[in-house]
Amino acid sequence: MITVNGEQMEWEEGLTVQRLLEQKKYNFRMIAVWVNDEVVLKRLYSEAKIPDGAVVQVIHNISGG
Amino acid sequence: MSKTPMKLLAEWTYEPAKIHRGYSRETLYVGLGNKDGNYKFEKRPVSDDMIEKFTGGRGFGLRLLWNAVTEKTKWNDPENEIVIAGGPFCGITQYPGAGKCYSVFLSPATKQTYNSNAGGYFAPFLKFSGFDAMELQGKADRPVVIFIDGDNYKVQIFESNLPDINAYAVSEDLHEYFAKDEADKRTISVVSTGIGARTSYWAGMNFSFYDVRRKVVRLKQAGRGGGGTVLYDKGVVAIVVKRTHFTGLENDPADIKTIQRCGTSLHKRIHDLDDKQCLMRSAGTAHLTEIMDAYKLLPVHNYKFGCHKDIENISSRSYIKLFTQGMADGCWYGCSLACAKGVDHFRLATGPWKGREVTVDGPEYETAAGLGSNLGIFDPLWTIEANFYADHYGLDTISLGTGMAFVCECYELGLINKENTHGLDLNFGNKDDIMELLHRIAHGTDEFAIACGHGVEEARVYFSEHYGADLATMKKIGMVCQGLEASEYRCQESIAQWGGYFLTLKGPQHDEAWLIFMDMVNKQLPTYADKAEALFFFPNFRLWFSLQGLCKLPWNDIEPADNGVRYKGLEAARVPEHLQNYLDIFEAITGKHLTREGMIEQSEKVYNFERIFNLRMGRGTAKYHDAPDRGLGPVWEDEWLARPDYFDGKLKEFGENIEGLSVKEKIALLQKHRRKQWEELKLAVYKRRGWNKNGIPTLATVKRLGIDYPDVVELLKKNLKPEDEFVD
Amino acid sequence: MKIIHYNAEKCVECGACMEACSAAYFKENSPELSRIRILNNTGFVSANVCSQCGACMAVCPTQALERDANGVVQVRKDKCTSCLMCVGYCPAASMFFNGDKQTEPFKCIACGICARKCPTGALELINVPAKA
Repeated sequence: MITVNGEQMEWEEGLTVQRLLEQKKYNFRMIAVWVNDEVVLKRLYSEAKIPDGAVVQVIHNISGG
Repeated sequence: MSKTPMKLLAEWTYEPAKIHRGYSRETLYVGLGNKDGNYKFEKRPVSDDMIEKFTGGRGFGLRLLWNAVTEKTKWNDPENEIVIAGGPFCGITQYPGAGKCYSVFLSPATKQTYNSNAGGYFAPFLKFSGFDAMELQGKADRPVVIFIDGDNYKVQIFESNLPDINAYAVSEDLHEYFAKDEADKRTISVVSTGIGARTSYWAGMNFSFYDVRRKVVRLKQAGRGGGGTVLYDKGVVAIVVKRTHFTGLENDPADIKTIQRCGTSLHKRIHDLDDKQCLMRSAGTAHLTEIMDAYKLLPVHNYKFGCHKDIENISSRSYIKLFTQGMADGCWYGCSLACAKGVDHFRLATGPWKGREVTVDGPEYETAAGLGSNLGIFDPLWTIEANFYADHYGLDTISLGTGMAFVCECYELGLINKENTHGLDLNFGNKDDIMELLHRIAHGTDEFAIACGHGVEEARVYFSEHYGADLATMKKIGMVCQGLEASEYRCQESIAQWGGYFLTLKGPQHDEAWLIFMDMVNKQLPTYADKAEALFFFPNFRLWFSLQGLCKLPWNDIEPADNGVRYKGLEAARVPEHLQNYLDIFEAITGKHLTREGMIEQSEKVYNFERIFNLRMGRGTAKYHDAPDRGLGPVWEDEWLARPDYFDGKLKEFGENIEGLSVKEKIALLQKHRRKQWEELKLAVYKRRGWNKNGIPTLATVKRLGIDYPDVVELLKKNLKPEDEFVD
Repeated sequence: MKIIHYNAEKCVECGACMEACSAAYFKENSPELSRIRILNNTGFVSANVCSQCGACMAVCPTQALERDANGVVQVRKDKCTSCLMCVGYCPAASMFFNGDKQTEPFKCIACGICARKCPTGALELINVPAKA
């Protein structure tokens, strides 16, 4: 299990940030991802592995109207 | 229009004040008499207290309006005013977004104070002509055009001879009339409304600027709250200001170099990053449609649903193809964010200008959603046509969109029928008939159209009294609060945004707080205290722009590339570098140091004063902060069944056993829980804002903010009840 | 169209060009007021001088940036509102400003003063085919 934005989610072996964003359908352009309080740079999304038990924050930096 | 001279009715010359450190320290008063031709002009001094407590812009507007009206004044009484004011930033050219002004007035729609902002060149030119604000009071005895001649320091009132009072016609005619030649047209700005202002409460004011490349007049709208309706009621067809020469130092700042440093760094950032971030330069705010759809926040069919299969038709990709690209699209000099998109060579298919080729301003996101998805229409050409006519008629596209969406749902529910609508078939998506309704609302063609144009709150009473429609049902589905229709975001799944819409000063616009992602997606506001903190900070922070003459967009519709990874949590949402720019520029203009805390306190003074003003007008208490059911959750089965697992899950989170419940029962149960959450939110927010349980600022709050004027204190003492106090 | 052409191999970083430029337009000897900047931050010398590409012209809200008969991009001060958007939008950062002297931006207008002062011939005023 991992926690994504405060909600529990099943963990799978080899889960990357990229895969997680796809699963959650987080497709907004301006996103910042933090795994266990460490920021993950955008260019590393496809290789950065999320460990079991991780606390993940996906912050949408959207300004709105 | 030919240059047939307009008859001069009154004239006044003045000695202009010199602008120093962002202020001219004088305001202009124009009195129109009481339909007796008794015109009056005055310069009024701006006191130190006014600058210290009210800063400028909306603050000045509220202060001046407070002095002009009594608690008995109605929107259409002669003593009601329209106050237009920029602020200390207004008119600087070196930082994006510094050409805004705020219009403050008692609103026909909300029956309390309203303030609405617009770009265009009016406010800077007014300031360069020597005035921090202008007050317009009284009623003219005939249609008039007011001309502020900032070149010759004269104010003139002419009898209007304009054949067509609609905005594009008036603005084009008056740019032509007052300009010496083509090049001179950009020295003029016109404020106008349109035919919609005769009967509708949705009429806003259009502020013009001249586009030197397209060679057309462009309009920016102070659309909301019915300011255009007030302008028309005063007999004013247009207010014109002309100012030919000004320099980059017109505002007489204390330190131009700091302003230049902040401005050029932001221009560079926009140049480098806008294509990767918000696409303001290519799509404008219309870039939001597909994002809102993806996160189920796009209003579809009167906010029933959050997404639609035809979204691609109205996506930014579709709009980018229609907007003319590569043009300088700023609405005041120096705005490199340039969100003022235009559709050129658009041939109108309906209405009085059918067949004519025009340039349409926008659509912005709000219009693309309000006069689009919310009506079940996914045709950008229809939206552009509706956008043009709404602007031309002076109608606010947001209230119009939300209002017509409400009417469509009433029609689909059978609450009103084809006989009531005078033959219009108002099912969602029925483009031709909805367009016809728009034209009829503007012209006040029949009693149904007039009722619609009075807004959802009055329309539903009319539908109930005249057509027998069920009022309770209409109260559930009408997205309205405090007499104002909601803007175009679905807020029901974000508790914090309930507050962002329904715990506001002037009704559910979103210029106070836009917390949907922060709350619903990012989950950054888990507790009521967190939500209340956000509903304290952001409304005050955003209000600050309205005091200065600033646009909000260059604050967070562009951000440093590393903003999101450098700062965590809410700090990132504040965009610290840009926030610092504002503090630095404030000091560079006024010479007065300002901290983050000082910034919020500047806003808090005005925020609370406005709240108290509304109390004075017989509103401004907790009962007017009322959220419709549609704002909190699904109302009908089809809404639930669009996301059954999601909503079932929400009920389970409340610990409910939903086994065997019908959808109808589930809806009632979810609404019950959310209503309770809403009440909890309300109290948490009131407390954080320094108000009592009835939503009234306490004496301690006004004392702390220094707005404890005798009349304020007296009013509060009359309304603050011991039983409403919070007990710690 | 006229442009200033720079040949780094010949440059001895003497600064004569900047001195001549700032003296000509601001009556002062200051690299910060020069419309050409010789830079050496990395051990490699380079010049920052306008190539007359015209990208600034597209963003100017008042059309104060115009190409003259020689194809040189000129700032028309009477039309300029000092917004400095052109500074942020110059792809080569060759549009300069200095609030102590004037609010309007300034740039190389290919006058050739710097080239005439250059002792090594590193700077030349040349004609290149006009941009569209």
